[in-house]
Amino acid sequence: MLLKLVDVDKTYRMGDVDVPVLHHVNLRIEEGQITVIVGPSGSGKSTLLNLVGGIDRPTSGSVFFRGHDISDYSERQLTDYRRDRIGFVFQFYNLVSTLTALENVRVSTEIVRDAMAPQDALQLVGLSHRLDHFPAQLSGGEQQRVAIARAVAKKPDLLLCDEPTGALDLATGRKVLRALVELNTNMKMSIIIITHNVAIAGIAHRLVRIGSGTIAEDVAVEQRIEPEDVAW
Amino acid sequence: MVAALDRKLLRDLYAARGLLIAVTMILGLGISAYVANLSLYFNLELSRRSYYAQCRMADFWIDIQKFPNAELERLQRTPGVSELRSRIVMPVTVDLENVEKPLSGTIISMPPDPMPVINSFVLRQGGYFTPFRREEVIISDGFARARNIRPGDRIYVLLNDRRQELLVVGTAISSEFVFARGPGTMIPDKAGYVVLYVKQAFAEEATNMEGAANQIVGLLTPDMQSRPQLVLDQLERQLEPFGEATSIQLKDNESHNQLTSDLKGLRTVNLIVPTVFLAVSALILDVLMVRMAQQQRTTVGMLKATGYSNGQLFVHFMKFGVLIGGFGGLLGAAFGFWLAGYMLNLFRQFYEFSRIINRPYPSIVLGCIGLGVVIALLGAFRGVQQVVKLRPADAMRPKPPEVGRRVLLERWSKFWESLGFRWQMVIRGIVRHRLRTFTGVFSSMMGAALILQTLQIDDSFRELISFTFDRMLVSDFDLSFKDELDYGGFIETRRLPGIDYAEPILTVGCTFYNGHRSKRGAVTGIQQGARLTVPRDTVGDPIEVPETGVILTRRLAEILAVSPGDPLVMVPLTGARQRLTVPVSRVVESFVGTAAYADFNYLNSLVGEEQALNSVQAKVSTESGTVREFYRALKQTPRLQGFSALREQKSQLIELLKPLKVVNRFLIAFAGLLFCGGIVTSSLISLAERKQEIATFRVLGYQPRQIGGIFLRESLIINTLGVLFGLPVGYGFAYFINRAVGTDLTRLPFYFENSTWGLTIVLGAIFTVLGYLPVYRAVRRLDWIGALNVNE
Repeated sequence: MLLKLVDVDKTYRMGDVDVPVLHHVNLRIEEGQITVIVGPSGSGKSTLLNLVGGIDRPTSGSVFFRGHDISDYSERQLTDYRRDRIGFVFQFYNLVSTLTALENVRVSTEIVRDAMAPQDALQLVGLSHRLDHFPAQLSGGEQQRVAIARAVAKKPDLLLCDEPTGALDLATGRKVLRALVELNTNMKMSIIIITHNVAIAGIAHRLVRIGSGTIAEDVAVEQRIEPEDVAW
Repeated sequence: MVAALDRKLLRDLYAARGLLIAVTMILGLGISAYVANLSLYFNLELSRRSYYAQCRMADFWIDIQKFPNAELERLQRTPGVSELRSRIVMPVTVDLENVEKPLSGTIISMPPDPMPVINSFVLRQGGYFTPFRREEVIISDGFARARNIRPGDRIYVLLNDRRQELLVVGTAISSEFVFARGPGTMIPDKAGYVVLYVKQAFAEEATNMEGAANQIVGLLTPDMQSRPQLVLDQLERQLEPFGEATSIQLKDNESHNQLTSDLKGLRTVNLIVPTVFLAVSALILDVLMVRMAQQQRTTVGMLKATGYSNGQLFVHFMKFGVLIGGFGGLLGAAFGFWLAGYMLNLFRQFYEFSRIINRPYPSIVLGCIGLGVVIALLGAFRGVQQVVKLRPADAMRPKPPEVGRRVLLERWSKFWESLGFRWQMVIRGIVRHRLRTFTGVFSSMMGAALILQTLQIDDSFRELISFTFDRMLVSDFDLSFKDELDYGGFIETRRLPGIDYAEPILTVGCTFYNGHRSKRGAVTGIQQGARLTVPRDTVGDPIEVPETGVILTRRLAEILAVSPGDPLVMVPLTGARQRLTVPVSRVVESFVGTAAYADFNYLNSLVGEEQALNSVQAKVSTESGTVREFYRALKQTPRLQGFSALREQKSQLIELLKPLKVVNRFLIAFAGLLFCGGIVTSSLISLAERKQEIATFRVLGYQPRQIGGIFLRESLIINTLGVLFGLPVGYGFAYFINRAVGTDLTRLPFYFENSTWGLTIVLGAIFTVLGYLPVYRAVRRLDWIGALNVNE
């Protein structure tokens, strides 16, 4: 088992009030699978992703990664965890605007030991012809694929994607999904995608539905479809 | 390979170049002011030392009536004496054919062949004496230039009642006479006073001093440098058989004194301004670095999510500081070095050094670069700390809108509502961004303070000159005589053609003592009801000279630490040299010199004379021709030692005070930059922070002018506050600098013209508008459509 969440609570303090976001969440994620977590805005799915990715800590409960409770980790251990285990893909790509595609990927390959060559990572997402372009010179889909290449290049155990197609049109979104499916098939990479777009669940092995901070549904996807058949 | 993050760093810096240029310039200016002023001071001091060494400047001078040169070797064996030289020094009247009035000069004997004697000179034009003639002379270069005299010209001197013709063979400068002033004049005057170096044989014959001399100059052994008086006492004792000996140490040498206190003043003034600059640039840099780090918030989040550690990010952002600080420091050091050279060049006009050295001081340069880096790092540190502290999840979320808080002013709701939303926005922004507001107010405050203080120095100059020459010294001419005259001599002088009115003066050179404090000076004896020398208090009211006791100027009283009523010991330099204890009857403000006044008859009785005098002050009729006649008569007056025309001294004083004014011009320019720089940078920062807000205004249909108006309002509030605080701070600076630049020869009155306050405010307004121009330009050129599309 790759990931296990046990009784995870997360409460944010906004000014003088506590805003509960996640409540008693229990969840298991298997190795090598694509898991899609869907839910409406404010349902807590991004928070869940942040907890799994070690960029935030639960208020209570535990997050186990391959049997290690990362909620007990020190700041330093969390940094190592993020560096060696996790790849992040953000909805708004978060590319460094002053670096080219290749250099953006290099930002992540430079800090891990056994990384891919940045060119290879970009080739994986079909961007070998755009290495020297700056983000502003790339389309949204291309930017998102650079972001995926950046996340993948350090060969993470788990790829976390926050609304990877959220800012993209259908055709571009499909290309991004294709890239993710291929990573999963060819490199056996575990992937968690969070989205409010249920259609994406078609490419996943499992579908987790989250609402008002709790897990509402957790099912295996029986009929997986090709990214090109996804429609929204 | 440059790491990807370093590449990002360089491109980020390039993207923010406008702002960075502004900040780097402010930092650079602060540092350049430091480098310039420190190296100016060090280089002038270095030039002075090298000049002194080159001329072998004496440690002491002993005047004596007639000293047989044969005795020199014996005298030289006195413990503590490293080397002695005897020479003839004699005042003369110089008669130039094309100059109506007589000029004063001093003849100094020199060996016939060039040798590195004590108090030698550096040749500027022509050469040393030739063996062909006896009557050769080398004259001071400043005088030669002022009077257009060249080697080969002839000049005439009235020496020992004989008119002598001398052939100029060269011109020279000497460390002994950096500031040369003739007898009876207050102000060094190149055109009115000349040093004449003549062959020893000529001097001996012309002054009837064959085989003898009347002055001994000497060097001390290193161990006695700090205790010259011990050596001088011994020498004076040994010189007793040869007449009265009067010794003075280097520290009491007039030229040396003026020079060292000038340099000291320079150092004091020049530390204030750079310090202010550095403080302001540090603050601005701090605000900027905090903001730059905050702007990178989401990037920081992404990098942390990718697995960068806090340490790695810290190092990355600190590199911003190192680069900005290092570059600003380097720029400042380079500009500062250039500026130092430029100012040194200007100083060449005032100080005749053998050579002016502009040497770079690696320690100053490195220190300043280091300082720049440290300042930038401090700013960067605060910014980075705030961002790195965030959890990556928080950092990646766009910064929440800042809490709009109500300000105190809003309690007066009627007034607040009448302001309109733009003023309201500006006022809330000012209250919310305290550090940024503080930076703006601080820099305009310092700018205004420097402007006020600089203008005030001009006021002081004007006041000094008007006080001294329009109210205190109101004679036209001062004549001083070699020996004391009796009252008959005065009557005779009064009969010179052209003199309308005259008053006798007795000046007694002496050393004042109060406990361990001592000061070489003179007491000027003036008659009751004198009209031509009028000691006045600062308000300008004349002070009656009491029948007994002495009046001291405040500066002299401060040096001696005496107040009215205290007894003061004075030992005259000539005559019986008895210790006289006199009461200090009053302390008066005077802006020129450390002077002491006493009643003419009282002073006479102190020194055992009756109605003796050694100078005469005169008012001369303004009728045409009378002055010429008066000059002609003066040239025939045998015992005349010195002569000064007060009107001319007025313009010479203006000359003398020019070095300070040079520095002032730079100060005004710097103050303006400071005033603008603070507000420009803080406006540019707020412009960058509010891109989206501005874009929204543009979408709503606002013109750039209207948006710029928001920034102008902000500048107006901040600069008004700055000027308001700046006026009292400037008053404080002015006061401090006024105390610091006072020398023994000149002291500036602390005086403000009303218009100075007004001008400071007007300049503040002008600088505010000037500072607004680049901001307006930035508003107009802002890519607001791009800003709308950018997430966050």
